[in-house]
Amino acid sequence: MTRKISFSGAINEALHQEMERDETVFILGEDVAKMGGDFGITKGIWLKWPHRAYDTALSEQAILGLCNGAAVCGLKPVAELMFADFVGVCYDQLVNNAAKLCYMYDGQASAQIVVRAVTGGGIRCAYHHSQCIEPWLMNIPGLVIVAPSNAYEAKGLLVSAIRNPNPVVFLEHKLLYNTKAEVPEELYDIELYKAKVVKEGTDITMVAAMTMMAFAEKAAKELEKEGISVEIVNPLTIFPLDKETIVDSVAKTGRLVVVQEGPKVMGYAAEIGAMVVEDIFEYLKAPIRRVTSLDVPVPFAPVQEDYVLPQYDEVIKACHEVMTF
Amino acid sequence: MALTKDRLWKVYRDMVLIRRFEEEVEKYAQNGTIPGFIHLSIGQEAAQAGVVEALKQTDYKFPDHRGHGAIVLSSPEERRKNCMSEIFAKETGINHGRGGSMHVNDLDARNMGFNGIQGSTVVTCLGTAFDSYYRKANKMEGWESDDRDLDVTAVFMGDGTLGEGTCHESMNMAATWKLPIIYCLINNQYAISTHYTESHPQKQLATWGEGYEVPSFTVDGNDIEAVIEVVEKAAERARKGEGPTLIEFMTYRWQGHFSGDPAAYRPDGELEAWKEKCPLVLAKKKLMEVHGYSEEELDALHAEVEEEIQGYVKFSLESPSPKAEDAVKFVYMDREVEGR
Ligand SMILES: Cc1ncc(C[n+]2csc(CCOP(=O)(O)OP(=O)(O)O)c2C)c(N)n1
Repeated sequence: MTRKISFSGAINEALHQEMERDETVFILGEDVAKMGGDFGITKGIWLKWPHRAYDTALSEQAILGLCNGAAVCGLKPVAELMFADFVGVCYDQLVNNAAKLCYMYDGQASAQIVVRAVTGGGIRCAYHHSQCIEPWLMNIPGLVIVAPSNAYEAKGLLVSAIRNPNPVVFLEHKLLYNTKAEVPEELYDIELYKAKVVKEGTDITMVAAMTMMAFAEKAAKELEKEGISVEIVNPLTIFPLDKETIVDSVAKTGRLVVVQEGPKVMGYAAEIGAMVVEDIFEYLKAPIRRVTSLDVPVPFAPVQEDYVLPQYDEVIKACHEVMTF
Repeated sequence: MALTKDRLWKVYRDMVLIRRFEEEVEKYAQNGTIPGFIHLSIGQEAAQAGVVEALKQTDYKFPDHRGHGAIVLSSPEERRKNCMSEIFAKETGINHGRGGSMHVNDLDARNMGFNGIQGSTVVTCLGTAFDSYYRKANKMEGWESDDRDLDVTAVFMGDGTLGEGTCHESMNMAATWKLPIIYCLINNQYAISTHYTESHPQKQLATWGEGYEVPSFTVDGNDIEAVIEVVEKAAERARKGEGPTLIEFMTYRWQGHFSGDPAAYRPDGELEAWKEKCPLVLAKKKLMEVHGYSEEELDALHAEVEEEIQGYVKFSLESPSPKAEDAVKFVYMDREVEGR
């Protein structure tokens, strides 16, 4: 049975169902238990399992440290970072510890943890609450970064993230929380490390994730009217990237446009571009194009935040450029 | 310590100003004119007004995310309206709309601004405290004389923020080097939904300072006279190079965590009990009963503040938005970033 539920409802349901199934899964973070989370994502879990939901002090470093240690002992922590920007506070635990435990213990143990992190801009909260942090973590072998773009993906990917034996940073874009999609009632998972071809096409491969998927879908429709056929690929797992699906798609279309919310320099758009050029340069019919934020901190004033974030018009412009090169 | 009649009158006015400032901000946040998250400090006015009152203009202040009061009072009168227009995301804002409610700073007033990452300022403040310590030790220009006092740094932090590791690191270093810091711990009971007793083993958080041999006090944060007294003592110590002080101000936040949070996690009756201890009511009572002010005189004060606040609001509403393309300014000191 499927029915329409919100992105936040889907995450909540995934937690409830996976916790029902596996008693080693527990949640912790600031205000996640009694209150059910600042964004209401963990509602009802503490009521059902008072000893499996923990409100912590404001201590991100301790939260992540606890997760790492507990995971080595066989528990499966799911921690919440109220805003992904707070990764900065617990960076050492994530980068120098979680990401290395498997390596350090010769594969005998790992940090099987999920860090749910509320990411992205758009709510006028300025530079410390609006960043896209995935590139901060993409240079760290051992981490997995997952980024759903709708409620269906959110539920299935979170289940996979919890079952995945590695540290997973699960990105929840705050602007997606209220968006709805058809979601099965029963528990299901979606394979990690696997990109999804959201829509097939022949002229341009457009790679987009999270909120940028809405740009991609809108652009594909608009361009179709001009006879330009766009293939949309959503990486789902931002790191490690599913090179094969992306490269295969670009080999077919010969053109690549990547739409990414964060700043341009060293974002995943850069990595995807490099990957394609390195592997299938000979298939390319035009230079690749990246549509991204400016390389600027996210400002508060609405007109300025909107200006810094990627522009829809630029997506269309980039597509025209790769078509007419 | 009883304040003089005039001084109590002055700080009462400051508290009324904060209250009305915040009520207006709340109103325009609710109707959607002010974007983003707004954290209100209604009920906590005495701790902010008292700290600012007890310090000099040249002392450094690091307000917290609920620090509209400390921010406004730190700024000279002619710039207070710009503090409000910053919250309205306007070009006339003190930071040209770049920061908003959570990040209002005014370097000229030595208001160093809040940082959206809780606990960050608690270590940054080591540096402003270190500055005069260093200049004095090296007898740098302006600091040749041995009797020049150090500049004080006051950092505001919530009971929740005390959970961050930075608070330990900061206190350890400040205490070891005797840096001139006043840790203003605003214990308004809650960190979002979590009561401080649920995230700390201590009943009184001020006991925290003991481990670092930092003199620590818990005071009634709603009693403006008590606040000023303890901060003045701490400032004196700091100025003389005797080191940091930790002060826990017991108070209560009347609103939810942010404007719009119904605060359903609070037990029934708790808010009402604290409203009885409203810092404004307490001070007003003293003004009338001890100092003989009349109801009419107080009404006149309220009317005066009202006019001032309405002036800020009008200024904010009438100010233009910043230019979108100015978003690329100030990313670097010495180079431009390309816009669209
Ligand atoms: C490092 C970090 N973690 C979490 C948050 C989210 N957050 C903002 S305010 C807050 C509660 C702060 O409580 P407290 O320090 O008691 O101050 P109060 O809000 O009560 O004034 C939290 C958890 C943050 N901004 N920064």
